[in-house]
Amino acid sequence: MKAFVIAEHAEAASALAAGARTLADEVAVAVVGSEQVPANIADAAYHVAVPEGAAADDAAATLEALLDDVQVVIAEPVRHVKSIVGKLAAAKGASVITDCLSIEDGVATSMYFGGVGQIRRKAKSGIAFYTAGAGSFGDAQPSGSNAGAEELSWVAPAAALKLVSSEPIQKSGVDLNKSDVVVAAGRGFSEEADLDLARALCDKIGAGLGCSRPLAEGAGWMPSETYIGVSGLMLSPKVYIAAGISGQMQHMVGANRSGTVFAINKDQNAPIFKQCDYGLVGDLKDVLPKITEAL
Amino acid sequence: MMNIVVAIKVVPDDQDIQISAAGELDMSKAHQTISAYDLNAIEAAAQLAQAVGDSKVIALAVGGSAIDESKLKKNILARGAEELVMIADDACADLDAHATATVLAAELAKIGDVDLVVCGDGSADNYAQQVDVQLACKMGVASVNGVVEMSAAGSTLTAKRKLEDVIETVEAQLPCVVAVTPDIALPRIPGMRDILAAGKKPMNVGAADAAAETCLETIEIKAPEATERKQEVSNASDDGAIDAFVAALKAAL
Repeated sequence: MKAFVIAEHAEAASALAAGARTLADEVAVAVVGSEQVPANIADAAYHVAVPEGAAADDAAATLEALLDDVQVVIAEPVRHVKSIVGKLAAAKGASVITDCLSIEDGVATSMYFGGVGQIRRKAKSGIAFYTAGAGSFGDAQPSGSNAGAEELSWVAPAAALKLVSSEPIQKSGVDLNKSDVVVAAGRGFSEEADLDLARALCDKIGAGLGCSRPLAEGAGWMPSETYIGVSGLMLSPKVYIAAGISGQMQHMVGANRSGTVFAINKDQNAPIFKQCDYGLVGDLKDVLPKITEAL
Repeated sequence: MMNIVVAIKVVPDDQDIQISAAGELDMSKAHQTISAYDLNAIEAAAQLAQAVGDSKVIALAVGGSAIDESKLKKNILARGAEELVMIADDACADLDAHATATVLAAELAKIGDVDLVVCGDGSADNYAQQVDVQLACKMGVASVNGVVEMSAAGSTLTAKRKLEDVIETVEAQLPCVVAVTPDIALPRIPGMRDILAAGKKPMNVGAADAAAETCLETIEIKAPEATERKQEVSNASDDGAIDAFVAALKAAL
């Protein structure tokens, strides 16, 4: 059995190569774009440099020839790679199972209706295509003897995109996926300035600050890459502190795999109190400074 | 002048899904509704049609026979589309991306002269984000996902797309397929006049010419098992409540 990993980021390439090793005895990895394939993660490694004026999505035409003896493709769940793997699946008459939470014996578990349910699916025949996050394979470690990566020459597709410009997004600086402790702010914050109370708590315990969707997409108080839940971040930190979060399913699917859940909300009937380990009923403006001080 | 098709998915309303004691998802009481992010796609298509001028938006939906519902069809047409083409056929229920793209491509060929297909960011059920790219492959045209802004001039579509690390501006030759993010346009709230007018617009409902085979097999759909939580909740004004909360927090850190 041979698995083929496609990623844009070196870190994802390692994590998915480790996962691929749990599914197949032979692992090949391709990284598309400016990052490189890390050494010793696979049996074969390839790199695709995207030419000036081309879009990474079109790397599918370059990679297609490498799939002839492959049974499983695992791809990084980012937009460029979702395009690439979609094109490859189309060429092979297959569909991609995206954003897999886990893959065992070819059966992938992913979310259904944003986490209301979980759906388990597998490919009926041919190549099985999946996208999966770094956390989908537990603590599997990559192994292999690849040194560098073979540089593939770009094959332009018939209907190519033309890249006009690419501007880096200014990030808030905190990668919540890597935070052991996350404070999430919700609609219980009635004014933007009150978020400083949550920031003070974060500073005290070295936590990252995230939010529920309305604070990012509605109010615009928080960067959109910090909202947690359906179509946003899916986190599993050691400690999760929900401040002014009501506990709606759409948010909680992004947090319910956390180690210990703490909640503060002024509404004692908020659903969050049924989904937390420790809860305090009270006003954020009053309670947050007291907690920060006592820590 | 452009012919724009907006591809929409009709899904059971997730607010009406019930979970049985055994963890099964019961959709029998759920209303059929437009998948949430496809509302933004309809609006984006309508706004582009207006910006280009002398253009037409056709809504195209593929699903099981349950999607052929009067109120739903009016809802789709009250949001800026001039015409609806609906494949409501039990052979088309629960299709995967590859099969959906096959049926959509066949219908698009019948509609003819389509300049642009607009898809939503992902469907409410599986959120696979794959129909756009699969459809473009079937049509032999380019696709762009993550689109937050778009404009068309001559035979070129210019799209700004928001990716994880960068904002890209790309050009694609028309015809092409785009998948737009919810940020691109706020869906309108149809008024009574829009809904009445929608009832008079052309609705072409039919069956698929050929059954499309899905290449994925569903083994099980179940509610996730809830994580057991201690649920030790107290009132912040109670004596020692904050201290106990802080002690538990320190222990967990």
